[in-house]
Amino acid sequence: MSLVKIAGLHKHFGSNHVLKGIDLEIAEGEVVAIIGRSGSGKSTLLRTINGLESIDDGEIVVDGATLHAGDKDLRPLRLKVGMVFQQFNLFPHLTAGENVMLAPTVVKKTPRAEAMEIARKMMAKVGLAEKFDSYPDQLSGGQQQRVAIARALAMNPRVLLCDEITSALDPELVNEVLSVVKQLAAEGMTLVMVTHEMRFAREVGDKLVFMYQGRVHEAGPPRELFANPQTEELASFVGSIN
Amino acid sequence: MFTQFSTWDIVRNLLEGGKWTLALTLIAFVLGGIAGLLVLFARIAGSRLLQTASKAYIEVFQGTPLLMQLFIVFFGLSLAGVDVSPWVAAAIGLTLFTSAYLAEIWRGCVESVSKGQWEASASLAMRYTEQMRYVILPQALRIAIPPTVGFSVQVVKGTAVASIIGFAELTKTGSMLANATFQPFMVFGFVALGYFFLCYPLSLYAKHLERKFHVAR
Amino acid sequence: MAYQFEFTPVFEHADLLLKGAGFTLALTVTGAVLGIGLGIVGAICRAWQLKPFNWLFGAYVEVIRNTPFLVQLFFIFFGLPSLGVKMGEWEAAVLAMVINLGAYSTEIIRAGIIATPRGQLEAAASLAMSRAETFRHVVLRPALQKVWPALTSQVIIVMLGSAVCSQIATEELTFAANFIQSRSFRAFETYFVTTAIYFALAVLLRQVLMALGRRFVIGRPA
Repeated sequence: MSLVKIAGLHKHFGSNHVLKGIDLEIAEGEVVAIIGRSGSGKSTLLRTINGLESIDDGEIVVDGATLHAGDKDLRPLRLKVGMVFQQFNLFPHLTAGENVMLAPTVVKKTPRAEAMEIARKMMAKVGLAEKFDSYPDQLSGGQQQRVAIARALAMNPRVLLCDEITSALDPELVNEVLSVVKQLAAEGMTLVMVTHEMRFAREVGDKLVFMYQGRVHEAGPPRELFANPQTEELASFVGSIN
Repeated sequence: MFTQFSTWDIVRNLLEGGKWTLALTLIAFVLGGIAGLLVLFARIAGSRLLQTASKAYIEVFQGTPLLMQLFIVFFGLSLAGVDVSPWVAAAIGLTLFTSAYLAEIWRGCVESVSKGQWEASASLAMRYTEQMRYVILPQALRIAIPPTVGFSVQVVKGTAVASIIGFAELTKTGSMLANATFQPFMVFGFVALGYFFLCYPLSLYAKHLERKFHVAR
Repeated sequence: MAYQFEFTPVFEHADLLLKGAGFTLALTVTGAVLGIGLGIVGAICRAWQLKPFNWLFGAYVEVIRNTPFLVQLFFIFFGLPSLGVKMGEWEAAVLAMVINLGAYSTEIIRAGIIATPRGQLEAAASLAMSRAETFRHVVLRPALQKVWPALTSQVIIVMLGSAVCSQIATEELTFAANFIQSRSFRAFETYFVTTAIYFALAVLLRQVLMALGRRFVIGRPA
């Protein structure tokens, strides 16, 4: 039984056909790394999974919540899917703790005290318990991204989407974020990440998806794909980054 | 004696008043622009004294009601022995008012020219006045046009206050007509329409310039 | 012979001036609270393009911003009664100030809302927040924070503009000044002192509004 099922997915930006029929299944607890050149559609694919981009054709099912072209009510899907962004997108007027508490109290109507407890737990999980009352602009990029992860986790999602979450970070801050992700993977969290960190994808990923010109060009266990690319495009992509 | 006013009579009288609104606006805007330039130069001058004085000038005019400014000019000049008509008092008062606001708007434009421009021109051994004349002001001028056009709307609207010291422009004419015709709804409706016809094109033009400027950047 | 300045007759009526200043402040505070409230509603309608309200607020903003406050006041106080809408000079003054400030703050706040970075909206969406929830918890406060200085300036402009309410006999500061100068025949001295009071009010109002902004809008220790 797959947790995420994407079938026949199409997406256009105007006349630009960016996703040309994507089929993808993700099992519970699986860690999927999506790679590919810029413009290959990898970020767009990720963003369709929680409805940040509308779709033109096909179907997305996440743990029973479905999305079709033209659907307006995205809440059921978004309650199952969390997302972490490249630019963190923390709410600047709220403390780190308030950022984490906001959606549980507003969306799920969790009582404040309970939401606070959840938030403290999540902040501890990402190693920032002591930064609960700091504002985003008082935190480093790596810390902000960890708060963003805690914020997504506080909604208790079935899947966590990570959109190039280390690309905006200074090199020395990348590892603190990746180690949080690694820990989540070890705990059995289902993760879908668009990433440029090939070593990380190889170490932590269960499945590698190589996107090329709007299609899933190759998919499989990362070690196999890296060691033995079946297509010239993947071979050249792997060659270009190593 | 009872005069019957037709709608046309009302409109014709209002147009007559509107002419004076336009005249007062033009005078205040042109003279205020010239005076504003002087205030601007004082504001960005090297001299601390000039800077402080011009800053105080701007703050006083921006921090007090236009009506009070007109009253003080009107009564102040007559104290000084100059017998002024409401027309002259209004022109002087609005000119001062306009100069303060324009100087402040333009100062913002001068300051928005990037620091790199100052540094680049300084590195070419230009003096302060040369930097201003050849590098900073030409750029500031371009930035200044949209907000200056936008401010002209405030000048048009400001002239309405001159009605209170007895200058027979559009609003004053409207008040007199409203009293004479017992049709205040229609008369003030027309008065508002008159101002709208004067101001709206200026607002649109300012917005257009602003957009064009942003695209050009 | 040189003119002798004589301020005593003005200061003899200091109580009237103080009372007038108090009324001017009361008018301004009422006008500011209701006007900014109206501005928030208008800004939402404009920013979200809620038909037909976005169109109505658009027209309202243009009409108000392109006509003088004095004419708006006269239209409300003298014009509306012929439609059967009668009100006292206080109500007319407050209504005119609310309508005037409402138009300017609609535009000011709308600019703040529109400037919300896209990432903020996407983050809220990814947390399953609805549009209304996003607006209330994510958009509004940073938007107000961004435009608070502009709103402060506009409130002060409205306060200074309220001087013309004396023309419909609203007994605020300028009305008090008019009364004193008609008694004392010391017009210049009276208006000079009154101008100074307005200036003090403007400085005070700016301090108070900026402090309020820091405390409630920005909502964090500096």
